[in-house]
Amino acid sequence: MLKLDEQQLNELQKDLDAVRDDVLADLGERDARYIRKIVRLHRALEAGGRVMMPFGFLPPVFVAATVTLGVAKILENMEIGHNVMHGQYDWMNDPTLNSQTYEWDTVCTSDSWRRTHNYEHHTYTNIIGKDRDYGYAVLRLSDDEPWKPWHALQLINYVLLSVFFQWGVGLHELESEKLRRREIRWRDKLSFIKDFGRKGGRQAFKDYVFFPLLTLPVAPIVLAGNVGANLIRNLWASTVIFCGHFTQDAETFTEAECEGESKGHWYLRQLTGSSNFTGGRWLHLLSGHLSYQVEHHVFPDLPAHRYPEISERVQGICQKHGIPYNTGSFASQYGTVLARITRFSLPDPIRRKLENRREQPQAI
Amino acid sequence: MMLAKARQNRALRWLGRQILNTPQPASYFDPLAEAINPMWVQAYTPARVERIFTETHDTKTLVLRPARRWGGFQAGQHVNLGVDIEGVRRQRTFSLSSSPRLWQDNGQITLTIKRHPGGRVTNWLHDHLEEGAVLGLTDAFGDFLLPSVAKPLLFIAGGSGITPILSQLESLAAEDYRAPVTLLYFVRTRKDIIARETITALAARYSALTVRILTTHDNTSPRSLNGSDLDSVPGLTARDVFLCGPGGLMDLATELLYQRGIRDSQVHCTFFAPPTIASLSKEALGGDVRFVRSALSVDSTGDATLLEIAEAAGLHPQSGCRMGICHQCSCRKTSGTVINRLTGKPSGPGEESVQLCVSVPRGPVTLDV
Repeated sequence: MLKLDEQQLNELQKDLDAVRDDVLADLGERDARYIRKIVRLHRALEAGGRVMMPFGFLPPVFVAATVTLGVAKILENMEIGHNVMHGQYDWMNDPTLNSQTYEWDTVCTSDSWRRTHNYEHHTYTNIIGKDRDYGYAVLRLSDDEPWKPWHALQLINYVLLSVFFQWGVGLHELESEKLRRREIRWRDKLSFIKDFGRKGGRQAFKDYVFFPLLTLPVAPIVLAGNVGANLIRNLWASTVIFCGHFTQDAETFTEAECEGESKGHWYLRQLTGSSNFTGGRWLHLLSGHLSYQVEHHVFPDLPAHRYPEISERVQGICQKHGIPYNTGSFASQYGTVLARITRFSLPDPIRRKLENRREQPQAI
Repeated sequence: MMLAKARQNRALRWLGRQILNTPQPASYFDPLAEAINPMWVQAYTPARVERIFTETHDTKTLVLRPARRWGGFQAGQHVNLGVDIEGVRRQRTFSLSSSPRLWQDNGQITLTIKRHPGGRVTNWLHDHLEEGAVLGLTDAFGDFLLPSVAKPLLFIAGGSGITPILSQLESLAAEDYRAPVTLLYFVRTRKDIIARETITALAARYSALTVRILTTHDNTSPRSLNGSDLDSVPGLTARDVFLCGPGGLMDLATELLYQRGIRDSQVHCTFFAPPTIASLSKEALGGDVRFVRSALSVDSTGDATLLEIAEAAGLHPQSGCRMGICHQCSCRKTSGTVINRLTGKPSGPGEESVQLCVSVPRGPVTLDV
């Protein structure tokens, strides 16, 4: 990790705080109009997808309905749910956009998400052993974790995690790895399991029971379309999220180097532990502006549609302090994620040999 | 229509909650409805502004037509009015100034609103609200209500405190209430009289009503309510008294009425302005406030309310009227004692619901915010 002395860290904090203050002072009508427009778009897409679905016996309609519902779920999860729960729109005093009461269209309960994501992940970002989002206790993504034979199959695990992403996220707080190691007991998790069961049941009931039954003669088509829509959302959400912290150059940290850290150090860690990807307006929207993961991690509670506007200033601050700003095209960033998952599935000696071989030509 | 029915049916509501992940399934499609016709919104009762007219240099009356599903009101009650100002939803409490009959017969209500110096909402309503706009209403509430059996009444109003009383006088006149009714209406100067024509017309057609309008600042030496104003009211001690006005007038009136042997149970008060702290300064106020859910702890001093403390710390708890009426900001206090600004009374030390906007910490307080 890049080392900055205390004075530099204070300076960094001052620079970033200034950006934050400017945005906060400017929040208003424009932001409210923006998020309400997105909510409107989501409602229209969801209603459209659900209404079209029973007509899915016509193949083009099936595709259109499934994609529409999938995109609706993506918008709701990424640009509305995730961002609202970060408190980005709490200042609007609108009970339907309140971080503490919002409940989103996915298996994970909002309460669990607020604990594991808003608190754990955003506080302890990329600290191995503390940020359980780093590899989701399923994948080995750095050599801070010793290699075990089952890591060899982690590319398969990764695909499974992506396919069932909403269930993985929903079960994240179960801390199965700690249960396995007997650090915690099942009974500690009873209330979590109850909440998970209720929300998971509700989500499954809606997409896999209620809507198919409502349109009984074409139930299998509606069921298939709803499964498809959830799959589209799962794959996309997983991909976007993996691009946020597991790219080639996204750094990891140890508990020791973060003990008693200052706000400036926290900022530095957010800047170097996150990665962006570039793309068109729709790519940013569908990623919930997590394509600006760096800006998001520095300012998690600023309305996300502001990230593109402040990106240049954040880059300028990075440049000033000699901090790398990690970005690249969507394809290339995702490529490095897959490479990381693959590399760390190998035992260390083999991985090092391969890495050396790859690096040698550059050295010559 | 379908949505309105869904609101009422419990089974449908349950189903809506399962399917739409929201405690208010009926309002799930509000964002779409609002774009088509703002009167279709379900989250609150939409009300169209049909007319705005000027009462005095600083007071306007809004004639509103709420959606038909609105529950109506009794004379003397208030509503919370919601408006979006610069992207922020703000709620303030206003008294209904029209009689319930106007709602029953014409589907209209009126709110009479004085410009509050420095007030964000009243100034916005005066400067930016236009006819045709749609505002949000809550159900009516409040217990500033007329007695169900006829007894002699005395109304003491100060300034814009006349608004709920206008509604009450209209109702009394409409039902030809058979007991003496007196209004003592205090205004700063002649030009501050709100609804002068309405009051004059009421007095003319409703013979039981006696009206005295008293100006406090028309002469070189200000005058306020005094004992002889009360003594001039025939059969004073037998009357039920309705008080609405600024804190000073209310305190003075209460004091003078007690001196004349009027019992607590005969006096009805309602607030209409942010309450000031009367006797809190002597106590040790302030303390360490812990917002558990936000993992934040702030030290406060003096008479800052929990809402002010939270906002100063960068939190945005839900809030509404900011004067202890609407309960939008109610939340769980898990420990500590707070003083209620309205009553000056301390809370219990344990877990209970408190209104952030009128609660001042006394010692350390923990909140589930």
